[in-house]
Amino acid sequence: MPTTLRIALLAGLLALASNLLVLGFIQWRTHDEAVSEQRRQVVEQGTVLADVYRTGGMKALADGIADTATYGDPQTAVALFDRRGVQQVGNLAAMPRTKGQIREGYQGALIRFEQQTTPREAAIVAHRLANGDWLISGRTVGYGLALRETLERSLLIALLVSIVLGLGCGVILAQFVGRRVSRIVAVTDQITARDLSRRIPLAGGGDAFDRLGQQINEMLDRIGALMEELRMVTDSLAHDLRSPVSRLQSAAHAAAETSEPGERDQQLGNVVRQADSLMRILTTALEISRSEALTSRGQFSLFDVGRLCAELSEMYEPVAEEAGVVLRFHPTERPVELFGHRQLIAQAVSNLVENALRYGASGETIDVTVGEDGKQLSITVADSGPGIPANRRAEALRRFGRLDSSRSAGGAGLGLALVRAIAHLHDGELVLQDNQPGLAAILRLPERTAQPADLRV
Amino acid sequence: MGRKILLVEDDRETADYLTKGLGQEGHGVEVAANGQDGLFRATDGTFDLIILDRMLPILDGISVLKALRAANIATPVLVLSALASVGDRIEGLESGSDDYLVKPFSFAELLARVNALLRRRESRVDPADHRIAVGDLEIDPLSRIVRRAGKKIELKPREYLLLEYFARNEGRVVTRTMLLEQVWDYHFDPGTNVIDVHVSRLRRKLEDGFEKPLLHTVRGAGYMLAA
Repeated sequence: MPTTLRIALLAGLLALASNLLVLGFIQWRTHDEAVSEQRRQVVEQGTVLADVYRTGGMKALADGIADTATYGDPQTAVALFDRRGVQQVGNLAAMPRTKGQIREGYQGALIRFEQQTTPREAAIVAHRLANGDWLISGRTVGYGLALRETLERSLLIALLVSIVLGLGCGVILAQFVGRRVSRIVAVTDQITARDLSRRIPLAGGGDAFDRLGQQINEMLDRIGALMEELRMVTDSLAHDLRSPVSRLQSAAHAAAETSEPGERDQQLGNVVRQADSLMRILTTALEISRSEALTSRGQFSLFDVGRLCAELSEMYEPVAEEAGVVLRFHPTERPVELFGHRQLIAQAVSNLVENALRYGASGETIDVTVGEDGKQLSITVADSGPGIPANRRAEALRRFGRLDSSRSAGGAGLGLALVRAIAHLHDGELVLQDNQPGLAAILRLPERTAQPADLRV
Repeated sequence: MGRKILLVEDDRETADYLTKGLGQEGHGVEVAANGQDGLFRATDGTFDLIILDRMLPILDGISVLKALRAANIATPVLVLSALASVGDRIEGLESGSDDYLVKPFSFAELLARVNALLRRRESRVDPADHRIAVGDLEIDPLSRIVRRAGKKIELKPREYLLLEYFARNEGRVVTRTMLLEQVWDYHFDPGTNVIDVHVSRLRRKLEDGFEKPLLHTVRGAGYMLAA
């Protein structure tokens, strides 16, 4: 069954159900009203006549009955019967027939008017007078019944009309919904088939369909951005692997062609080095993707960042010394704890230090500083080398965005991109600043001493 | 001295290459080509070492490892894996393996680690306070005092740790990655020659003024401390 038809039927059914409820209520109320109105009238008439008898005696009652019978509307029934059931005065031909013995008070009965042959249904009140006579007064129910029947017929018609209207509304609603949905479907079909740049048109009303469309559009934007990034990474990876692979190839050829053992050993060593650097590029590219996908958050733990940086500074201090640079570590006064990935933070800091050694070694110092201000902690690696001009710093952070075009300086231009990805993993950022002279790379991380729920992946 | 090694590896080429190489070193190698078979043989056999590939058919390496450890089988396990990220390495080590090696690896690296693991097994009885002697070099792990031919050598804390690791693997090749992992506890690959710089500093302290070299460079593999 198509969705449109289902929606139409559902709307029709709902209209029917709600109308049934309303009409049922009206019917119940009016029925009740009609019956109680009649009862009130009958009881009142009976009480009036009984009062007349009490105050005026039999003579006044007989006059009252005669008056009522003469001047009342055709539904009015009134009569006085003696104890044997013979009519004394009034418009009834005989004692009303009731279920069982007639008793005092309000009850339903069959009555027969004088000069009529068919008995009619009526509500009566019977009073036993002091002398044993029966005073009967009442009304036939024909009028109320007729009213009720008219009402019921109207209600039935209203019900039928409401079913038709409900179905009609359902169809209109279904068509409206269907049109909006099929417009979205048409676009998503196109997107699935070929064109990821298509977007759902929004009506602008901000209704549920607009919100759905907006969600889909945002999702598409995200997918588009990811695909663009993926394309860029694979492109750059392919481009960047071209030179190490070709170096590996030529080293292998050189090793294969030489016959002199010493020379060959040297060339083979070269082959191994080139292969290593190739592996390193791939591993780093993988590490960046992993960090950006936030999959390593399960391995977060609490550790002292200050100590880690001290250890790393100590590890690189001899390397700096050999390069003719002084590497200094500036700790904080108290331990700076971070809930994070110790190994990856170590790798990030090590990358920053190696970067400073590689590009900033022409300066005299490299300073590693740990700082914190209660909200975030920072790890700064500052060199006094040539630095990076402000307009090229964004490029330096990109994958494979190495600034010097020659590949001889080692590294594949992934170092800072990896640091940035690791910062991202910790909800932090990597900022490059002018160190006047030189470059200051600042890793800013929000302080966290326990694992918040939103970090669990 | 030959040992029994179980190699759980589904790639025929790698398995053949390792079987041949380890065989030449005098080790007996048995190969299981999937995780289930590997687990079965590991629980049954008396191996000195298990080399376990991480991605295996039927039952993956980490599951095999966890099953082994759950069954209280303490045979040293070296995990081989093409998964090279820091997170993968840590996951591998945390699941109960004794060492983790990323593919592709050089045979020298594998051999160095295999030997270190086999050695660790046999020297479990060696208490930490035992003095270690390598030739005329004497190391006291308790006081961390190092003497060569009776003459005290001043070492920085990290240099001492480096030397102690070398000494505990005396006569065996130790690779740069092993040093970075064991002495510094870092599991990433530094781009520079940082390990070489530390080793050559240590070497200078150990060898300056002495004729006989102690800390040898093993080309294409790493370093070795030997008298």
